[in-house]
Amino acid sequence: MRFAFENMKLQTKTNIGIIAIFLLLGISAGFMTFKWQNDYAIKAAENRVRLYIRAGWEIYNSKIERIQATLKVLAEDRRLQRVLVDRANGELKDEVLHELQAIRLDQNMDILNVLDASGRVILRTRHPESSSDGIGDDPMLRKVFSEKKACGGTVLLDERRLQAEGQDLVELCRRYGGEAVGMMTAAAVPVHRDGRVIGVIQMGNLLNGSVEKVDRIRNSLFENEQYGGKPVGTATVFMRDRRISTNVLGQDGTRAIGTRASDEVAERVLRRGLSWTGRALVVNAWYLSQYDPIRDPDGRVIGMLYIGSLEKRYLDQRSRAIFLNLAVVFGGMVLAMAVFYLLMRTILSPIRRLHLATRRLSQGDLDHRIVVRSQDEIGELSQSFNQMAQQLREDQQEIQQSHDQVERRNEELRIINRNYMEMLGFVSHELKSPLGAAVLGVYSIKDGYLGPVSDTQQRILTSVAQSLDYLNEMVKHYLDLSRLEKGELKVNRRMVNLNQEIIAPSLQGLMPSLEDKGMSIENRVPDNVLLCCDPHLMRIVFENLLSNAIKYGRNEGTIQIETGQAKSGTDTGETVLSVMNEGDGIAPDKLNLLFQKFSRIDHPKHAGKKGTGLGLYICREIIEQHGGKISGESEEGRWTKFTLSLPTLGTRT
Amino acid sequence: MIKTKAKILVVDDDVQHVDTVKTLLESVGYSVDYAYLPEKAIEKAKGAPPDLILLDVMFAGPPGPDGVATSRRIHADPELQKIPVIILSGVRKVLDLPFRLEPDDEWMPVKAFLEKPIKPDKLLAEIQKALGK
Repeated sequence: MRFAFENMKLQTKTNIGIIAIFLLLGISAGFMTFKWQNDYAIKAAENRVRLYIRAGWEIYNSKIERIQATLKVLAEDRRLQRVLVDRANGELKDEVLHELQAIRLDQNMDILNVLDASGRVILRTRHPESSSDGIGDDPMLRKVFSEKKACGGTVLLDERRLQAEGQDLVELCRRYGGEAVGMMTAAAVPVHRDGRVIGVIQMGNLLNGSVEKVDRIRNSLFENEQYGGKPVGTATVFMRDRRISTNVLGQDGTRAIGTRASDEVAERVLRRGLSWTGRALVVNAWYLSQYDPIRDPDGRVIGMLYIGSLEKRYLDQRSRAIFLNLAVVFGGMVLAMAVFYLLMRTILSPIRRLHLATRRLSQGDLDHRIVVRSQDEIGELSQSFNQMAQQLREDQQEIQQSHDQVERRNEELRIINRNYMEMLGFVSHELKSPLGAAVLGVYSIKDGYLGPVSDTQQRILTSVAQSLDYLNEMVKHYLDLSRLEKGELKVNRRMVNLNQEIIAPSLQGLMPSLEDKGMSIENRVPDNVLLCCDPHLMRIVFENLLSNAIKYGRNEGTIQIETGQAKSGTDTGETVLSVMNEGDGIAPDKLNLLFQKFSRIDHPKHAGKKGTGLGLYICREIIEQHGGKISGESEEGRWTKFTLSLPTLGTRT
Repeated sequence: MIKTKAKILVVDDDVQHVDTVKTLLESVGYSVDYAYLPEKAIEKAKGAPPDLILLDVMFAGPPGPDGVATSRRIHADPELQKIPVIILSGVRKVLDLPFRLEPDDEWMPVKAFLEKPIKPDKLLAEIQKALGK
């Protein structure tokens, strides 16, 4: 993995880096956004519900205040006051009763009663014939009588009290509350005359089955909106734990009047008198809800006011907000990434150009230059690269020029040498014909073919013959040298029998001089030795080696020719041949000089023995062209030995 | 020394060489005729067939057939093909040949290939061998 990363291109590396960084940033930003939105949405929703319920209370209480205001105006009415003082005036009483009845209907109220100072009902607008005049234990009236001032709020009405107002109300409460108890928003105001309380006037509205109040709350808060088929918000009034006034719809699509709140809510709100806020499953949807206790003027909890706001709306809002936030975050990230990528590209592209240019340079394209587009470090680097390439180009040109010069000079030398060698070959060749005639002529006389020869004549003829032999040797060597130097002598290898095809023919021309010196040849080469070589070239080698051995060998001495495998013993890849003669030998420090061109060793004992100084050089050239080696060794005063080793390319039987 | 006078035709463009060879061969009892050019030699051989032809390889003058080509012509001629041919030349066998291969009898139908300079002993021995004596 590490190696894979190291092997990546810079662009890839930075790309991966950018992606990694932005991925991390994105994930953390996304997480934070999500968390923040989530927390915020829930808190915001709860705050909203608190506001809603406060607004709900305002609406709830404003109704009560309106009743109270109406009653305060009525309490100032002179005729009502006279009815309370003068009980006997039945005519006036009926007149006021009718007026009050009209007011009750106009205000859409359920009850409107006038009580005297003792608490007895003297005018009951809803049911004037009612025999019962008791008001039971009404905490609101108690408060008005005891404190002598107006009071508004919510009270419970027991069955007797309902009965007094009419059997229909008992039925109503039974239908919308399950029992003969009613819950009423009402107000009561004392009637004063001359600083004395002469009566109380009370007006109220039963909540059981009435939806006017809750619908007003809902409409002003939620405008009766629907969301996904569900009402956005609902309001309910509970009598104790039972819904008596609600716009929550039940499974059947009608108002869920008569159903009960959960035990958890009832426990907290009704028993302990605290608010309950939270998620509540209302019929079939989750609502963020608040339940507040409703108290009577004595402070006893008699019911609950509920406001619910559809949770799905908040959740969807939250999802939308989260989605939007994430979209912004990720969009920004992608944008930043793109900008960063382009930036890196801009930075890296000159580096890539530099890289390509370096590669081209290393492949030998010295003319390639980089277009410098910036003045920054990379621009400077590019400039340096161009200077370097320019320098290299110039150096290379210089080297090429001097190389060309050397080549030309060498070629000139080669041509000169070749011309010289051609001339040498030509001259030598031209010498052959006259030399041929001279040799044949001189030897014919000397050998007595043309008649008897005197001793003095013989001596001169012998001397001339020797000079001619030397001249002949010279011509031969120069021709060989010319052939070698012109590169005409290519090795044409074939398997040859060493004795038959090389040694015997080489010896043939040498037999007379061998006999002259009384020397003998000891050829220890077995008849079956085969050699892979050019027989004509190898014959030149042996002619030279043997003629040297005769020339520098001791009179009556022996020349030994031997063969053997390589001494090194590493393999059988070499055939070793040696020619040894007895004689004065050669100083060891001069042995190597022998193989140089035109080398002649000055030795007193060799005086008068003329050599061309080419024989061993020619031998070495030929042997080396065969891939072999030639060397000399000697013991001064005793013997000289030349050894050549040739790679065995064929078989030796 | 030689009972029946064998007749030898010497073909060479070197006048001194022809003289020397002629003198030597005549002194040992051969009858010698000569020619300086191959065409002339073939003409002479047809007129009076020799027992042996001693032939040089390189000839001066305008390019004509060399000694080797001449030996082939002699061999191909029904009148002359029985006459043995010896080449005696300054050319070194094989090394100076254009393609550096050991020539076969068909390409160079000669009894011997001798190299100048040559000593009388060797020359006479080769001639006797070629004459089958």
